[in-house]
Amino acid sequence: MENNSLVEKLTLQSESFQEGFEILCKSFTFDEMAKNFLHLLRGNFISSRIHLFYKATKDSDWNSIQSQEKFSDAGLSLLSLNNSTPIKYFKGEKYNAVVVLPLSDSSYLGILIGGKLDGSELNDFDKITLQILLQVFDSAHKSFINQKNEKKLIFELNEKVLQLNNLIDTGIELSKYENQNILFELALGRIVVLTNASSALISISENNNGFVERQITFPQNISPESILSSLHKSEAVFNFNNKSYCLVISEKETRKGTTSFNDLDEMLLQAVARQVNASLENDFLLKESLEKERIEKELNLAATIQQKIIPERLPKIDGYQFAGINIPSREVGGDYYDCFDLGEGKFALIVADVAGKGISAALLVSTLNAALHAYLEFNLPLTDLADKLNKLIYKASPPDKYITFSIFVLESKTGKLDVLNAGHNPALLLRKDRTLEQIEAGGIGLGMLDLGIPYVGQTLSMNPGDTLFMYTDGIPEAMNLNEEEYSDQRMTNFFIENSERPVDEFIKLIVEDVKIYVGEAEQSDDITSMILKRI
Amino acid sequence: MSTEFNLISELQDKTLIIKTEGYINNAGGERIVQELEKHANVNKLILNLEKSKVVNSIGISHLIEVIEKLNQVNGKLIFTNLDPTIEKTFSIMGLFQFAEKADSVESALK
Repeated sequence: MENNSLVEKLTLQSESFQEGFEILCKSFTFDEMAKNFLHLLRGNFISSRIHLFYKATKDSDWNSIQSQEKFSDAGLSLLSLNNSTPIKYFKGEKYNAVVVLPLSDSSYLGILIGGKLDGSELNDFDKITLQILLQVFDSAHKSFINQKNEKKLIFELNEKVLQLNNLIDTGIELSKYENQNILFELALGRIVVLTNASSALISISENNNGFVERQITFPQNISPESILSSLHKSEAVFNFNNKSYCLVISEKETRKGTTSFNDLDEMLLQAVARQVNASLENDFLLKESLEKERIEKELNLAATIQQKIIPERLPKIDGYQFAGINIPSREVGGDYYDCFDLGEGKFALIVADVAGKGISAALLVSTLNAALHAYLEFNLPLTDLADKLNKLIYKASPPDKYITFSIFVLESKTGKLDVLNAGHNPALLLRKDRTLEQIEAGGIGLGMLDLGIPYVGQTLSMNPGDTLFMYTDGIPEAMNLNEEEYSDQRMTNFFIENSERPVDEFIKLIVEDVKIYVGEAEQSDDITSMILKRI
Repeated sequence: MSTEFNLISELQDKTLIIKTEGYINNAGGERIVQELEKHANVNKLILNLEKSKVVNSIGISHLIEVIEKLNQVNGKLIFTNLDPTIEKTFSIMGLFQFAEKADSVESALK
């Protein structure tokens, strides 16, 4: 062929080479690119006997690109990597050209080119065309590999961004969970995504005996045993509230199967475990704080109820000095005192103490107060009154609640004093001649039992110069830091020694004396006292 | 919570609708690719992920393969009923550059 003619032909074909390159570059897979190249070769050489092969590495086998079937032609032996040039030409043989083209990723493309359809062999023009086509394929393949690497890099970069994002989101979401099941499910879902684990498990066991309390898996229907017995697994353990929480991830996934977890996976697992631990702690502290707040509210409410019931001012009783005080403790107690003006110079003085503290005690005091307002109008004998109150309080209170109660109905003009003591600390009556009487007549505390046990009353006479001292156990049982009680004896002595003082001053002084005795110790119970002195 | 991966599919003309359930990991992703490959003429795939709340990056790599296969036939992938976490994941991974999203299968069919 004339050189000029050859150049002319090649020039005319340059456009088709460019198109061929573009077609090859548009291929999504290597197979697709190779098949497109095969079409190019067959079109250029007008031959159907062209076969393409691929060798992934130097040591792997040649695989036919056209079909999945094993290529049995003896021509395969011609594909030798030891050839000094990529192309070898043969004359008069089954194949006119054999190509072994090394590719940029250390793989190889093998080509067997047989005779043309018209029976002719490859001419010079064909040989140059083949050279150019091989360069076209090599360039397209390099572009394909670059694109693939670029995609891989972008994917890996996005994956890292996703991991970081997931880790941040995990921290946020785990901190605002509603209940433990949601927390654990969320943590498992997050950790499998962060580490590409096939499955994950949280196992909760008791620290003291190792008893497994609960196991939660992801996915849900995977058995814990299959996770624990998996070949590739990693775990993180933390302890909280006497329980051990073990997070396990199993079988790191790749496109080619599963593998072991790497250092980053371990770190991510530890991070999620720490977040779960922190969430459990936060929840615990929140509940504790809410409970404290609830109790605080209850105590405030109880204090309000109590303050409304305790009289702001005691009535004046002609011919008597009369004073009282109630100092509630920090934990609201159930002390109660009051003085009802029954008319015609009659007064009912009451001191009571509900067993227990808090809102239930305050409510029971409220019940007693309401009942007294109702019953005292009927001028009942104190034994009947106590009996009715006992029944009422018994029905209105839980088994562990009762009221110790003392009532003194005074006819101020005569000094007649009807007394009943239902399980309360005995009041002290100091006669003018300094003799001391303890008033104990009565019965069991109100609401303790409803067995019809009769109450016993007592009638006394308060004469000029006599002093009646009523109190609750907050005075004799007040304790100092050594847990020693103020005692009945000290209180009685104080009463005797200071009974000549005006009642307001006496009340102030005995409270001060108790406070001095108690010192730095916290007031553990209400302090309530009334003192009545006949002038 | 995710169960073992399951899918159901429905072919409407050249549109394949696949509804998945469970963890889209390597196995789950492969199942989606295989389901697409069963239907040669499909040029629109609607992937309803309402019951899939967790997807790992291996599962995502399979979804990218699905997108590439559809691109070869000028087809498209539309994700529907996406959980916000998955939507964010796909967004970070760049899937929405090559695939669409819709609120429901019905709106994806329009």
